[in-house]
Amino acid sequence: MKLKGLSKYLYVYKTQIIRCFTYKFEVYGNILMQSIIMITSAFFWRALYRTGNPVAGVDVEGMLTYIIISAMMSVLLITNVERRIENSVQKGTIAMDMMKPLNIFGIYLVEDLGSITALVFQNLLPIFLVGSLLVKVPTICSTEHIPLFAISMLMSFFINWLIAALFGMWSFTAVNVDALIQVKKHLIRLLSGSIIPMWFFPDWFRNILEALPFVYIYQLPLDIYIGKSSGDELAGMMMIQFVWLIILLIAFAYVARRATKKVLVQGG
Amino acid sequence: MNKKMIEVKNLCKDYHIVKKEEGLKGAVKGLFKSEKKTIEAVRHLDFTVDKGEIVGFIGPNGAGKSTTIKMMSGILTPSSGEILINGVDITKHRKEVVQNIGVVFGQRTQLNWDLRLGESFELLRHIYQIDRNEYEETLDVMDEILDIRKIIDKPVRQMSLGQRVKGDLVAAMLHSPDVLFLDEPTIGLDVSSKYALRKFIKEINKVKQTTVILTTHDLGDIEELCERLIIINHGKMMEDGNLVDIVDRIAPYKTLVVQYYDHENIPVHHSCEMIKTEGNMAWYRFMKADITAAALISELSEKKKILDVSIEEAGIDDIIRIAYGQ
Repeated sequence: MKLKGLSKYLYVYKTQIIRCFTYKFEVYGNILMQSIIMITSAFFWRALYRTGNPVAGVDVEGMLTYIIISAMMSVLLITNVERRIENSVQKGTIAMDMMKPLNIFGIYLVEDLGSITALVFQNLLPIFLVGSLLVKVPTICSTEHIPLFAISMLMSFFINWLIAALFGMWSFTAVNVDALIQVKKHLIRLLSGSIIPMWFFPDWFRNILEALPFVYIYQLPLDIYIGKSSGDELAGMMMIQFVWLIILLIAFAYVARRATKKVLVQGG
Repeated sequence: MNKKMIEVKNLCKDYHIVKKEEGLKGAVKGLFKSEKKTIEAVRHLDFTVDKGEIVGFIGPNGAGKSTTIKMMSGILTPSSGEILINGVDITKHRKEVVQNIGVVFGQRTQLNWDLRLGESFELLRHIYQIDRNEYEETLDVMDEILDIRKIIDKPVRQMSLGQRVKGDLVAAMLHSPDVLFLDEPTIGLDVSSKYALRKFIKEINKVKQTTVILTTHDLGDIEELCERLIIINHGKMMEDGNLVDIVDRIAPYKTLVVQYYDHENIPVHHSCEMIKTEGNMAWYRFMKADITAAALISELSEKKKILDVSIEEAGIDDIIRIAYGQ
């Protein structure tokens, strides 16, 4: 019975992949953008590291790996759930999701997973190739870190998704949440270590960042990948990441239950 | 027989909307403090619908029809009251209950714009866990009336409105639900599409005993499909009953149209009311209880020579006009 229920979502996932492959050209802009960010920041870091001294234990090679993996991760962390909810609420199409024998957030999650699956081929691989050819091949620090990176990346995906979903659910009450979604996007960009690693910030600022969920989206998996963090320190960080995941999950469950009762179908 | 399919008990729905004030001052004020206004969209509705009934749900725009349909199909949560579909509370068990419901909104689509129609059907087949053979059979039946296989490979984006609504209707019936909700299904359709749609609704109602509830502003839909009417206005129940009974009660009169040989001295009659004359024509409205049409004709013909007569029944449009309070 449980498995049968899952197969419904599996087909929604599959349909989303088919859908994503029908618009071929819209996704290539992101490759260009990520490549530009990757290449310009490679120039930037090479210039900064000209003296050759590692900063906070990270040398230039580690830093270059960092930016390539960060660009690749950004593809896995693309969410559409916030826009999907906003659109459905604004246009009233949420009715179409609510009348199906499925959990609407389950639909949104597998739709995002479907889009990402399509993007692995359309975006992630091209970015990997561009980075490998023009910057360097981003190899992981040690094979032991592969499972740790995978676990941390998985948690990072869900933290990111739940934050997006929470922002999206604002539209159940505020209807127009465009600005809020923009704020969220930039918060994650700047405070997660996706562009500037937090070890370049002063201690007090870093302490604040470590208390927020954003660094557990990019910085932690990246640290694991380049071997910046290991042992007890790493275990501690992953614990905090897990705690954030649980906190966001509880917040999501609470808000989702209240929000769906508030559904107001516009028009008609 | 007479199994209760839908039970609606004391159903209410309130909306809270932010009151917008006038002008720039109001807009600025609204940024800091907003006043909430409560709108009672549906007030204390009570009714039951038996299996196999086709019920017309009518009322003016903004009467609460769509809101009620959306509550019955699990989209909106009622503020209070209870809705049982086949004995199960839809508010508490939405996912289970909607498995047994089909919904078509004439102004919206559940089909996927970017994909072929068949792809949307295939998705629904999996969502509702329909067996492939059963799916093909259902599609065959629907193909006979709606010619659906002809458009199954067409992307929904490229469809005409008529084709899209047909697609939506099939999509709603793929899982053979016991209850079908149609919210203004024929809106904007041409005559032949309307005809096909009505034929389809009648057919599934007859063959599959599907209970159908439809909202419409189209008199043709009501005349051809509905035996029973529920009329609501301002969220309240105005009428609920057999179409013929409602007509008899609200408009228990007929109109006799008489054409005389000339337009001079057109006679009146004591047991009916002459509502208008035009040249040699006269319209007499009479109560069915007061006098029969035959008696009226023979008595009038004694007064003046009649060329031709016809009788107009009170139409549904009269009923609706009266019921809507105009």
